[in-house]
Amino acid sequence: MPSRPKSFSRRWRLAPILRFAYLAFFLLFVLVPIYWMFNTSIKPSDDYLAIPPVWFPDAPTLVHYEAALFAYRGLEGLINSLIISLSATVLSALLGTLMAYSLARYNTGGQHLSFWVLSQRFLPPVGIVLPLFLIYRNLGIHDTRFGLILAYTMFTLPVSVWMMFAYFRQMPKSMEEAALVDGWTRWQAFWRVAVPLAAPGIVAAAVFAFIACWTEFFFALVLTSRNAFTLPTVFRAFIGFQGAQYGEAAALAIVSLGPSIVLGVLAQKHLVRGLTLGAVRG
Amino acid sequence: MADVATIIPMQTAGAPPKLSRLGAWTERHFKWVLVAPAVGLILGLSIYPLLFSLVVSFINYDFQVPGHAFVGLRNFKLVVFDPVARWSLVLTAFLSGTSVIIEFVLGLLAALAMVKSFRGRSIVMSILIVPLFISPVIVGQAWTLLLQRPFGPTNYVLSQLLGHEVTISWLTQAPWLYISLIAADVWQWTPFMFVILLAGLTSIPQNLYEAAELDGVSAWLAFRAITLPYLMPMILLALTFRLLDAIRMFDTIFIMTGGGPGTQSYTASYYLYTVGFTQFHLSQATAGSWLFLIFTAIVVTLLVRRLLKPEAV
Amino acid sequence: MAEVKITGLHKRYGAFHAVKGIDLHIPDGEFTVLVGPSGCGKSTLLRTIAGLEEASGGTIEIGGQVVNDHRPRDRDVAMVFQDYALYPHMTVANNIGFGLKARKMPRAEVEKRVTEAARMLGITQLLDRLPRQLSGGQRQRVAIGRAIVRNPRVFLFDEPLSNLDAQLRDEMRGEIKRLHQEIATTIIYVTHDQIEAMTLADRIVLMRDGVIEQQGAPLDLFERPATTFVAGFLGSPKMSFLPGKFLRDGSAAAISLGDVLMPLPPARASIAAADGQLILLGLRPEHLSRAEGPAPVPGHIRQEAVVDLIQPTGSRSYATLRLAGAPAMAELQAHDVSRPGERLAIDINMNRASIFDAQTQRAL
Repeated sequence: MPSRPKSFSRRWRLAPILRFAYLAFFLLFVLVPIYWMFNTSIKPSDDYLAIPPVWFPDAPTLVHYEAALFAYRGLEGLINSLIISLSATVLSALLGTLMAYSLARYNTGGQHLSFWVLSQRFLPPVGIVLPLFLIYRNLGIHDTRFGLILAYTMFTLPVSVWMMFAYFRQMPKSMEEAALVDGWTRWQAFWRVAVPLAAPGIVAAAVFAFIACWTEFFFALVLTSRNAFTLPTVFRAFIGFQGAQYGEAAALAIVSLGPSIVLGVLAQKHLVRGLTLGAVRG
Repeated sequence: MADVATIIPMQTAGAPPKLSRLGAWTERHFKWVLVAPAVGLILGLSIYPLLFSLVVSFINYDFQVPGHAFVGLRNFKLVVFDPVARWSLVLTAFLSGTSVIIEFVLGLLAALAMVKSFRGRSIVMSILIVPLFISPVIVGQAWTLLLQRPFGPTNYVLSQLLGHEVTISWLTQAPWLYISLIAADVWQWTPFMFVILLAGLTSIPQNLYEAAELDGVSAWLAFRAITLPYLMPMILLALTFRLLDAIRMFDTIFIMTGGGPGTQSYTASYYLYTVGFTQFHLSQATAGSWLFLIFTAIVVTLLVRRLLKPEAV
Repeated sequence: MAEVKITGLHKRYGAFHAVKGIDLHIPDGEFTVLVGPSGCGKSTLLRTIAGLEEASGGTIEIGGQVVNDHRPRDRDVAMVFQDYALYPHMTVANNIGFGLKARKMPRAEVEKRVTEAARMLGITQLLDRLPRQLSGGQRQRVAIGRAIVRNPRVFLFDEPLSNLDAQLRDEMRGEIKRLHQEIATTIIYVTHDQIEAMTLADRIVLMRDGVIEQQGAPLDLFERPATTFVAGFLGSPKMSFLPGKFLRDGSAAAISLGDVLMPLPPARASIAAADGQLILLGLRPEHLSRAEGPAPVPGHIRQEAVVDLIQPTGSRSYATLRLAGAPAMAELQAHDVSRPGERLAIDINMNRASIFDAQTQRAL
């Protein structure tokens, strides 16, 4: 995220106190739910109903983590999530890069093809998931990792394509042309010149694909049940609970926050491009 | 060292070796070879299911009823005349509209507050964007933990602040449950608005403000005459993207209210999900999702196509 | 090394017609410069020869072989790009040797050639660096090295000097010319800079709006421009054009500019113009000089003019004169002219003047 040079005009900045008060409020708003979740995850069950609420438990405990990971099969979900998200990420980044390069350099299919891909991003998932459920059952890939990997590759593909499309567009093409004149084939110019140069963009696209897969719920809910379930779907077990499982739910949430937040914050620089499908450079 | 003037021309390296037949074929159809895997995947996992669901929506595909009889428009009629379906559409519009407006206002204020650099800005930045990387399921879970009686601390904190006992059932009682759902959505997606609008603000040429300052223009006028027009494309883009995602709202409802009480918190996606997967009226659900799809498609064609031109930005 | 022959070449981008039927024969070993204003199609023509653009019509032959259907890799040409197009992720040595690796050349041979090319260009000490660690001039040399290491049939240069500062540009221009003298490979060189074109070319091909306006040796084009466009494009400051009328009386001929009658020397009187035809008289600044002696030398005309504007450059000054009512620029000795408004007697060299048809803008 580029920051303004120091001397940004005084004109319309909020008065400093107002600005910082607002930012403080905003920070609190963001942090309190996360902190309360963390707090709940390490709080002994006896503290749940205490009045006033316990903000800093005296005797932190990890029992909820143990229960969440084993009794509620959180660990299995975690492993499934990792395998499925990573595989789908690699596939999505690979297929996305291939297609984006073709669109950016050869204008393949004109505007129609690129907008067709884009339109996939805005389809309501419920429209795809219902028939996909039936198809998966017929093919026998319902509740398999393979099935969900395919679905996730498909569902992250539009963003990967468009992010890479924008990336290749702003990359000068003369290096690839030099490779062509130097005696390489189009594939080699792509693979040996364009891909290494686009590596930062590919990594960024992959990070956003990973986050999208890691946090996805709806597809996983419908397309998996007892075997290939992912981490977010484990939370089904905590719905409608009456007190006893707060800590487990919180512990599982804290476990699954880690990877996507770390990756997201690291890839901050590319965030705007990721959120706007490359339309805004940020 | 050889004298530069006595250069002997090198032997020519000639043309590179001929390509194999496969290599030559790939080279000739290169641009289609590159798009083929992605297009194949989209055809197989999106277009084919969509067409399949179109078929399903005209037949009877209920698990309870054997056979797949053609029923014409019956499934569509069932959805259109279902009061729950209509309510879910209204609620979808209301929840998404309200959330997006609140997110926009809060996000714009945050962007304005962050545009000037200050010490610790990058840390604040990193914290503010965290909700974007959290699964909506977990967001729903986090807000459930905060709000649910009697466990959540919200009522206690409000009681302390207001000086009298507050006993609100945030997740099971209208209108509070709508407020809860909006709060969760706002928490997760205000950073989206903030990040895009901040990018827009930082790209406004600073000399415009300097010129305005020299001309003695008031701060409010500068905001209206410079900031808003420059920011407008970003605002439209952010609103459109957010709105198109907001109308799918499902995960937080699934976790926080389960659609309840009764059907009071059914959104369109939630309605279609329950019709299909709790009642197993799959045909009715696919018919409904086609209607929802057409509805979305209209919005997409109207808004997105004119907004997204990567080479223009 | 090879000749290049282009016949009836067209290039269209949708509705835009970039190259409109070019015929061009470039003999083996010649240094040809394609020059013209931006958008004239010169770069498109070059890229079509390289195979980076597909011809919409016509043929391209390299070394007697039609190469329209050949990929760039099979044409055995080398190209130096405007932005150098060095591979940023490879060292200088790998940049230069990259094309040889495409030919599956043994490693030792690649190394030998790369060393040799680096020595020729004086960049031996840079071989292990990455492009981003190089200055503009060094990058330029690496780009050239990448081309000469293969000793291709044809060298293509696409505005290679336009990203360099003025001083470096002069230096590199000299080096490219010397390089051609040494390796004697066919070179096709695109530029929009008329000085580069004049200094480098064996032959200039001047393009405009997708067609060849005129081609020939630099001095031919300079001294005998076929059109006002060519005349105005080559030479700096530009040629001045004065509207007038051609008059013929038997074997004698003259040009009238308003009230002023300017007789043409006998050598120029035979041009194909009719009595009363409207013409443009083209005068280069160096064809106007301050009058000396009691009468002008033969072929010159003495005329009074008013100084409008003076631009000193040191030893010479460019003076914009009002000559028979029209502006004309003269290149004078610095001290021949002192202030605007001054009246000067000017000798005009009619032997060198160009005469164009006012309507067709073509030379008569």
